[in-house]
Amino acid sequence: MKKIKAVSKVAAILIVAILIAAIGISVGVYISLTAQPTTTTVITTIITTTAPPTTPITTPVRPPIKNPDTIIEATIGEPETLDPAWAYDTASGEVIFNIYETLIFFNREKVDEFIPMIAEKVPTVENGLIKDDGMTIIFPIRKGIKTHAGGEITPEDVEYSFERAMVQDRDGGPVWMLLEPLLGVESTRDPETGEIIVTFEQIDRAVEVEGNNVVFHLARPYPITTFFQILSQTWASIVDKECAIQNGAWPGTEEDWQDYNNPETPELQEVDCGSGPFKLERWEHGKEVSLVRFDDYWRGPAKIARAVIKKVDEWSTRKLMFLQGDADIVYVPRANIKELEGAEGIRVIKDLPVLALDAVFFTLSIDPNSPYIGSGKLDGKGIPPDFFADINVRKAFAYAFDWNTFIEQAWLGEAKQVPGPIPEGLPFYNPDQPMYKFDLAKAEEYFKKAYNGEVWEKGFYLEILYNVGNVPRKTAAEILKENIEKLNPKFKIYIRGVEWPTYLRAMVRGQLPLFIIGWLADYPDPHNFVHPFMHSHGAFSAWQGYSNPHVDELIERGISETDPAKRKEIYYELQRLYYEDVPSFALVQNLGRHWERDWVQGWYYNPIHPGIYFYDLSKGYT
Amino acid sequence: MSSNLRTYIARRLILLVPTLIGMTVLVFAITQLFDPIERAALYITEPRQARFVKEIIAKYGLDRPVYIQYFNWITQVIQGNLGWSQSLHMKVLDALVTRFPATAELAIYSTPLIILFGIYLGKLSAIKRNTVIDHASRVVAIIGWSLPSFWLGIVLLAIFYGGMGVFPPGRLSEWAEALVRSGEFKLYTGLYTIDALINLNFSVFLDAIYHLVLPVITLTTINVALIMRVMRSSMLEQLNKMYITAARARGLDEKTVIDRHATRNALIPVITLSGLLAAGMLSGVVITETVFEFKGVGYFAAHAATQLDIPAVLGFALFAGILFILANLIVDILYAYIDPRIRLG
Repeated sequence: MKKIKAVSKVAAILIVAILIAAIGISVGVYISLTAQPTTTTVITTIITTTAPPTTPITTPVRPPIKNPDTIIEATIGEPETLDPAWAYDTASGEVIFNIYETLIFFNREKVDEFIPMIAEKVPTVENGLIKDDGMTIIFPIRKGIKTHAGGEITPEDVEYSFERAMVQDRDGGPVWMLLEPLLGVESTRDPETGEIIVTFEQIDRAVEVEGNNVVFHLARPYPITTFFQILSQTWASIVDKECAIQNGAWPGTEEDWQDYNNPETPELQEVDCGSGPFKLERWEHGKEVSLVRFDDYWRGPAKIARAVIKKVDEWSTRKLMFLQGDADIVYVPRANIKELEGAEGIRVIKDLPVLALDAVFFTLSIDPNSPYIGSGKLDGKGIPPDFFADINVRKAFAYAFDWNTFIEQAWLGEAKQVPGPIPEGLPFYNPDQPMYKFDLAKAEEYFKKAYNGEVWEKGFYLEILYNVGNVPRKTAAEILKENIEKLNPKFKIYIRGVEWPTYLRAMVRGQLPLFIIGWLADYPDPHNFVHPFMHSHGAFSAWQGYSNPHVDELIERGISETDPAKRKEIYYELQRLYYEDVPSFALVQNLGRHWERDWVQGWYYNPIHPGIYFYDLSKGYT
Repeated sequence: MSSNLRTYIARRLILLVPTLIGMTVLVFAITQLFDPIERAALYITEPRQARFVKEIIAKYGLDRPVYIQYFNWITQVIQGNLGWSQSLHMKVLDALVTRFPATAELAIYSTPLIILFGIYLGKLSAIKRNTVIDHASRVVAIIGWSLPSFWLGIVLLAIFYGGMGVFPPGRLSEWAEALVRSGEFKLYTGLYTIDALINLNFSVFLDAIYHLVLPVITLTTINVALIMRVMRSSMLEQLNKMYITAARARGLDEKTVIDRHATRNALIPVITLSGLLAAGMLSGVVITETVFEFKGVGYFAAHAATQLDIPAVLGFALFAGILFILANLIVDILYAYIDPRIRLG
């Protein structure tokens, strides 16, 4: 009995001692984990979009390469679907553009140069494949391209792929980009009634097979480069028709085609009917997508045997995986970049211009029942619903924004102000376009002009919302509040953080006095930015209630004009009008970073790619 | 099994149906507090899709009367279809089936450890009441209970994985994952440790155990205090009862008094708690699953709830409800075996 007691006592004391020691060590480790690294080794590389990454400056230790024939990417996103006609998010796009191929593809870093893929040639007027003033475009189809399902890509597969996309055309999907040039409509349905407004004959006629060629008949004049940019992306992926039909997709016939329009769920959700350099090995939802090399790929097998895209939500876990070499490419939140700077074996490529633009959008006709406009009157306790209809108020807000502080605080210096609404790097961007600068004197001047001086005299109250977790939007709201309240003690702004669903509801209902939101390029053409930012039916401008018939007319002309010189004139004029009319003001175009282990070779940056294109990658030290 | 017990079990299982319906009605009613636009946000992952919000509401019937939406959902459920999870991009039933093994594997290894450690420390603490051992075990258990699981998880990962390169996150190493997915390995349960033993593949078994070490330590450290405190107070209560004094007076040795008499009776509240603990563990441990990349049903449910993924939330509510009701049933049956005074039926 005594012995048992003694053992129990010793065991208890040991457990207690171990736990106390563990907690003590834990506290120490946690403190060190959250502290800044002290190492001075710098392994960073700065490139432009056209230059390949250079080797690190110093590589003191070369640890053994983990998983040498597999690239592991640890990130936070997860695909919504693998159906190319459905996918509109970058996480889905990343998987799809590795397992499917398009007729043509971007030439490495270039967004306006193309290489033939499933097509044998890139059509030009000179090679006779672009006819009828660009209304007929012919793609000769490459022979011998094997599919993952065991077939071969034929012109019929190409025709089916485009027709299936147009037949499917789900709400909120990407197919409007194909519908605009091919059918001349934005949707196959009436936006009000939901009734189908196109015929099968229209869809059938738009893309036709002629011998070994696939011929596109455009419904309206369309800039050829823009059309090719659309064709080079995932929504224009070529699917193996037989494989798709076997998996329940539209059977390719006119009969009942309307039943396949706007389905509730994707047809090819987890199916691989592609012919790209990788095959889908498995998709474990919420965990990872694993791709395996396709040995019969027509350009030759990829250098790596497998690519795994892991969804690792927790930053600390992702960071440890990266430092241990268990992840080769990692998504690093901007707030955490300092934790990795100087870490051994890590390469960072900086200053990557992102084709996205955040802006502050003014609602010109706010819902009178909005809970965010105080009294709803210009009495110092609220704002009237048409507060921002006065251009002086819009200009005053624009002059009150401090871009330098915003870039430093929200983007740690890695962003730049652009005049908007066309980001730098896109065709017809005007580098000399004037833009608003932080100028409180000007802001005061315009506030005093607004509402014939009533704004300045009576003051106002309004609320600015941001969706929680979005640091840049919160920072932008705080900067506006601080600077505007500084001007006049009667000016009051309240900042409220809400969840994305609440933000969306308030935005859609026109309840937000102003909203801060961003647009990510669908294709690298200015039309893709001026339309949402300025057109009366644009994604954002429609909610603002902004309508300028002259602007609408210029935007319509811009996308129908095929002469680059004329397009330049139009887009320069639109940028000027954006500055003059200030329906919104662009915040910044941010500069991204790419983080990889230094044993990853072959990565390049194309700003329109939805993610990592694994075909060009390999692992090894140079 | 006596006929009384059979009747009792049958009655409890029949009661399962109205309980689950009531629960889903409640959950459904709560979700209807959100505006249709807020519920449509689930389908709008990027601002560029927001212009389609009206069409999305119409397509998924988010503005229909609540009873019609509920009726549509329950009709699907009766047909064995729990609906589509937009947040996980798969069928809800498939999500539960594929995610459950990860959670079950964590629960199978950590729950017994929590219960055994908890009982042992609680009993020791009660026997050694007001001694250094009692105070120390209570303090340490409370510290463990008070530690945020994400903090402890991250710290353990930093020490062992970050510092020493051992016990990585995830359920298997890359090589083992590839092997498990190959034709050479057959998955029976989805629990890698068990499947590896059935396949007689000890390297995969050891790799799975290797990945379980840190999450199991985390869960055990955090939850052991729960059992320990109940066991201690229950044991103290039993030790002060007359039958213990009588047993001692009869000259029984202390080990028999403690183990045969006091401990057995002190276990009754611990069994109740253990049942709930096991059901709770099986229905998911969100933070541990997230930190250690052990994506189970808890992670799935939390992810779905934050995105207002109603079919997924309802599916999870059904799943968790069944687990808790069954756990309570098992606990009740165990009572009858442990304490013959308790009669079911």
